[in-house]
Amino acid sequence: MTAASVRMGRFLTYRVAGWGTLLIALGILPWFGISPNLTRLLFTSLVWIITSVAWNLLGGFAGQVSFGFAVFYGLGAYTAAMRISAGIPPLAAFAIAGLVAAIASVLIGLPTFRLRGPYFAIATIGVSEAMRVLMTNLSFTGGASGYRIAEPGPFRPLEHYYTALGFAAMAVVISALIHHSKFGLSLQAVREDQEAAADIGVNPLKAKLIVHLLAATLTGIAGGVYARYAAYIHPQGVFGFHTSVAILLMPIIGGAGTVAGPVIGGFVYGLVQEELVAAFPQFHLLLYGALLIVIILFEPQGVVGWLGKLRSFIERIWRKSAAASVG
Amino acid sequence: MDTADFANLLVSALLLAGIYAAMSVGMTIVYGVMKIVNLAHAGFLMLGAYFVLELYESWNVDPLAGSLLAFPLFLLAGMLVHWLLVKRIPVSDQPTLASLLLMFGLWLVLQNIGYLVWGNSDRSILTTRTLSSLHVGPITIPTVRLMVFIPAVCSLLLLEFVLRKTWYGRAVRALMQNRYAGRLAGIPVEKMARLTFGVGIGFAGAAGGLLAQLYSFSPDFGHGFLLRSFVIIVLGGLESFWGAAAGALVLALVETFSILVLPAGYQPAIAFSLLVLALILLPGGIAGIFAKKQRWA
Repeated sequence: MTAASVRMGRFLTYRVAGWGTLLIALGILPWFGISPNLTRLLFTSLVWIITSVAWNLLGGFAGQVSFGFAVFYGLGAYTAAMRISAGIPPLAAFAIAGLVAAIASVLIGLPTFRLRGPYFAIATIGVSEAMRVLMTNLSFTGGASGYRIAEPGPFRPLEHYYTALGFAAMAVVISALIHHSKFGLSLQAVREDQEAAADIGVNPLKAKLIVHLLAATLTGIAGGVYARYAAYIHPQGVFGFHTSVAILLMPIIGGAGTVAGPVIGGFVYGLVQEELVAAFPQFHLLLYGALLIVIILFEPQGVVGWLGKLRSFIERIWRKSAAASVG
Repeated sequence: MDTADFANLLVSALLLAGIYAAMSVGMTIVYGVMKIVNLAHAGFLMLGAYFVLELYESWNVDPLAGSLLAFPLFLLAGMLVHWLLVKRIPVSDQPTLASLLLMFGLWLVLQNIGYLVWGNSDRSILTTRTLSSLHVGPITIPTVRLMVFIPAVCSLLLLEFVLRKTWYGRAVRALMQNRYAGRLAGIPVEKMARLTFGVGIGFAGAAGGLLAQLYSFSPDFGHGFLLRSFVIIVLGGLESFWGAAAGALVLALVETFSILVLPAGYQPAIAFSLLVLALILLPGGIAGIFAKKQRWA
């Protein structure tokens, strides 16, 4: 075995160990009697992390920036809500929610993936807004007044928390597997140069459709998990433009195209957002807009990029001091 | 539907088309010269609306004069934005995601500054014109719509004159066709880009002031109009002024006449659906249809 592959193997072990520690920490955290408010914040963050990781599959790995993930989130929320109200077990309802979102992703992707870059982004705004108007007017979903979920039994916050944690872990695993696979490389090729990717045997449309479908399924499930927790959803919320914007901002701020970035972005958004909304209900997006500008201009890899720079800075200092002590 | 109804709808569609064209022309010119999809356009439309409102409420400046005043001020603001932000992203012949996201970030910032300053309640500008109307035979024309239509069309004609007859206009048209050839011919590309961005934002500010006289607004004001502007410039083939005017007319006609067949609740979906359809089916805009036919013939 070469030194490089040993280093690589150790590196991967560190990563798996890191993720595992995080998962276990989040898993046992509720045993320490954390406040209901913190449980709620963590639950919200976990739901956001699912969507953020999902968006990153398409937007980060494949470079297709979509402003339309509220479509999948909303469809998932409504599907799960109506299935649960019909008496179907929640996990089955989430699966159906994911399925509906997946079907929608193909219907949306087939025409819009003919468009490149910014044109695709703008088309997704159109799709998402048209969907919101449609859902505001449909009568069988309750229209603009929203939909209330009738789920028998007491409200168990921890059950919601562990559901969200499980799906978030699933999302991260999917994201990491794609990132380190041949499929991930083909997505990266599509992101960097679609023509060149097609020349070396990647089918760009197929690759984009598959990753869109995966992302939509996860986002639909996240919408369902949220809907069951919230027990009341309405089109301006789950289908709202701000939902699409949130799902887009988190992974970009955390670090688009990385595995850890969207998780960091989701955590930060989930935890900070609630406080910001409470403190400044009107203009909480000011900070994120400014952050987005800074990231686009200076550090496309967001928080992960900054952390990387910080690490290499520390390593440089450490190496210097080590060299000094030897000398 | 009798002819009087039809004529009324037609006139209101035409009046709407004028302001739609003025609203989207700023985006067209920025896209044409710099290949930037300016999402922040919406933010400047909103700021233009509040600028005119503040002038009207504080100093009783007529909203029409206010819109006129907005132009130079927003032009300077646009040049500042270009100098601070836009010139820092790499230039490209194709619109890039970086520029799209940068302008989106700027829009978020502007919108939330709007919330910070003016809160989220709906505001509107009421003048003596707001409720009066003119009667020409069987046709009723709301005065305020006409008084907004006239400056909108005049500004477009003025822009067209500048683009046709001045050195600046010729340089802009050259850059829209080919940036490199323009640079070789001695056009100071960066300076022109800054000025053009300013002109685009100037139009956004003035159009925002005009729109504010027709609709109530909040800091989220630009949102619906941004998407309409997209529809218009996409229908117009993205880089052509007459295309944009034609696109504005098409959108205004479709929106106005759709009330005959669609429930009012679905009205906003028209622009959004048209946007997706136009992007996918008409990559060259309306003009593209004719160009294709010519090529086939």
